[in-house]
Amino acid sequence: MDIQKLRDEAKRALGRKEIEYLIGYKKGSYGFRISPCFIETKEEVDQLTFSPLCSLSLVNYLTIEGKPLLPADEKKSKAKKVALLVRGCDSRALNQIIAEGGISPDQLYVIGIPCSGVIDLKKIEARFPHTPDPVDVVEENGNYIITINDQSHTVPVDELKAETCKTCQYPTPLTCKKLIGDKRAGNPPQYEDIQILEAQPPEEKWQFWQNQFSRCIRCYACRNSCPLCYCDGCILEKLKPQWVKRSVDTNENFMFHITRAFHLAGRCISCGECERVCPVDIPLMKLNRKMEKDVKELFDFEAGLDPEVKPLLNTFAIEDPEDFIL
Amino acid sequence: MTTYTLPKDKLPEFLSALSDYEIWAPVKKGPATLFDRLDDLKDVDLDLENQPVISKKAIFPQNEPLFSYDRKGTVTETDLNAVKNTIVFGIRPCDARSFTLLDPVFEGDVPDPYYRARRSKTALLGIACNDPFVNCFCTSIGGSPFGREGLDLLFIDCGDLFTLEVITETGKEITGKASSLLSPATAESSEQIAQAATDKIKRHIDLTGLPEKLASLFEHPVWKEFASKCIGCGICTYSCPTCYCFDMQDETTLKQGRRVRIWDSCMFPEYTLHASGHNPRATRTERFRNRIYHKFKFNMDNFHSYSCVGCGRCISLCPVNIDLIDYLSRVKETE
Ligand code: SF4
Ligand code: SF4
Ligand code: SF4
Ligand code: SF4
Repeated sequence: MDIQKLRDEAKRALGRKEIEYLIGYKKGSYGFRISPCFIETKEEVDQLTFSPLCSLSLVNYLTIEGKPLLPADEKKSKAKKVALLVRGCDSRALNQIIAEGGISPDQLYVIGIPCSGVIDLKKIEARFPHTPDPVDVVEENGNYIITINDQSHTVPVDELKAETCKTCQYPTPLTCKKLIGDKRAGNPPQYEDIQILEAQPPEEKWQFWQNQFSRCIRCYACRNSCPLCYCDGCILEKLKPQWVKRSVDTNENFMFHITRAFHLAGRCISCGECERVCPVDIPLMKLNRKMEKDVKELFDFEAGLDPEVKPLLNTFAIEDPEDFIL
Repeated sequence: MTTYTLPKDKLPEFLSALSDYEIWAPVKKGPATLFDRLDDLKDVDLDLENQPVISKKAIFPQNEPLFSYDRKGTVTETDLNAVKNTIVFGIRPCDARSFTLLDPVFEGDVPDPYYRARRSKTALLGIACNDPFVNCFCTSIGGSPFGREGLDLLFIDCGDLFTLEVITETGKEITGKASSLLSPATAESSEQIAQAATDKIKRHIDLTGLPEKLASLFEHPVWKEFASKCIGCGICTYSCPTCYCFDMQDETTLKQGRRVRIWDSCMFPEYTLHASGHNPRATRTERFRNRIYHKFKFNMDNFHSYSCVGCGRCISLCPVNIDLIDYLSRVKETE
């Protein structure tokens, strides 16, 4: 992608008087890290960047603290907007949140970036473990060209790309004001790993998830980095009744993860960030993708394709299948 | 100082010679390396490439039941005599040092019996860091990759063998139990490897004057800017070896209940939520500021040390690149 085009577009956006600030990515403080940034003036636009290292979703910043976009002088800035960079999955997240009434599209100016997939930071940092200086990464002909201290390394894309991105169906933002660069075709959906899990006998599944959830420390990094986990008053914080105990053990962790999976059914857009940030490597995408697959097969529904379409769980059709209800 | 050598392939035997103890060590759980109680000695995975989380739970468990009760009114206190003699093997020098920073907190005016019970029965067997991790900055904050503070024994990786430095009486006792596996080390010192390791640390910060600086910045707009990208999870505090905040909960079922102490995080809104519904740290700005102030000012005021050992975990694990070193440097530059 041409960074200059992105910066030019950002400048144009910031030139519009209704736009308060732009949420984008800039170089991070060390190694492979990228930082989110909030840009208010044209002069700051040159910090903007975009690369396969941009793994986190900026959509989070629209809903954080359960606040609408413009906490400062809210009343005065009614007509104000926020400009936001989105990749394919982010655009679906936005569509979904808009469909749910979580954000008003009138508050947004969306700049879309057709995405070729992000790098899994855990993989690249394991590959180049002692890398404090900022790094450049570009994708070229099926390889990542990684420049560390003027020395370049070529690594096949497949070895570092985030697993979810390898099967991304919608890399091109679906709904946006401006698109930077050419549209990209998506991949056909693929659920082989989920089918393997599905085929296991219940005891094995139970054992598998017990092992996984037993090590969750409930730091909630998965929840907080999820663009769709934006409830003001998450069930996990409820005290009366306290649905999930604060004790961190396998049972309560199950309760947390199963609840979260249900609350994301028909909503999760498979960006994969929850799994990538987990400090104890719990394979959350197996759960999320199972829900995604079920929702697709049972209800012929995919989350976040259209902001006008009602969310799956808010609708009822007489022909909805119900044979899974016990 | 007494030093021994232990051939690396004898490590399982060394640990089995310590079978009187409950042993904690880094263990592979899926792709992650975590500290856990060993059920099987074969599970130890020193995995020097990965920085394991979280060793503090060996002494300060994530859930600590204090007492249980039932409807008949029977109250049963947790039996602290049941705490076993424990060895934490493969702990990093920074993590070992963190307990010396937790001691004054838990053993101050009102000594905490639960912490004491485990702390007094736990020996720390460290592994020196020949290859510090990318965000390690222990040397900027009073530690070092070969630091001995808090440790009973230090293992140094010397290729095919470990050199063991006996640091305390407890360390001596432990080596005594496995003496048949150990040979006295030749006089050669570890100073050279230690220096090489220290030289590999790339991240530094000069903390001189930081608490005084913070004293003048409490109301500064910089905190809002700093906190703006924080997503408010607890990964920084839960992975931190020196964070010690906890919550008390009564967890009841129909017939019985228990009071349990559970790690909490100052980054969560619930942490300061009052019963009235008021929250004095209502936004990320106040919560983020508190984390920095606690570690680099209040702890200094109260206990004469920073509440940080420079392990760099909060930096490495943060999903949005909140970089403590970077932020502290910016605090220093802020007017
Ligand atoms: S990020 Fe991982 S450890 Fe943290 S709450 Fe989520 S699943 Fe648990
Ligand atoms: S649950 Fe995970 S994959 Fe799904 S939207 Fe949230 S962060 Fe993305
Ligand atoms: S504050 Fe960060 S660097 Fe300091 S001890 Fe805690 S996790 Fe380590
Ligand atoms: S900060 Fe890094 S180098 Fe220093 S003791 Fe800890 S793990 Fe080792």
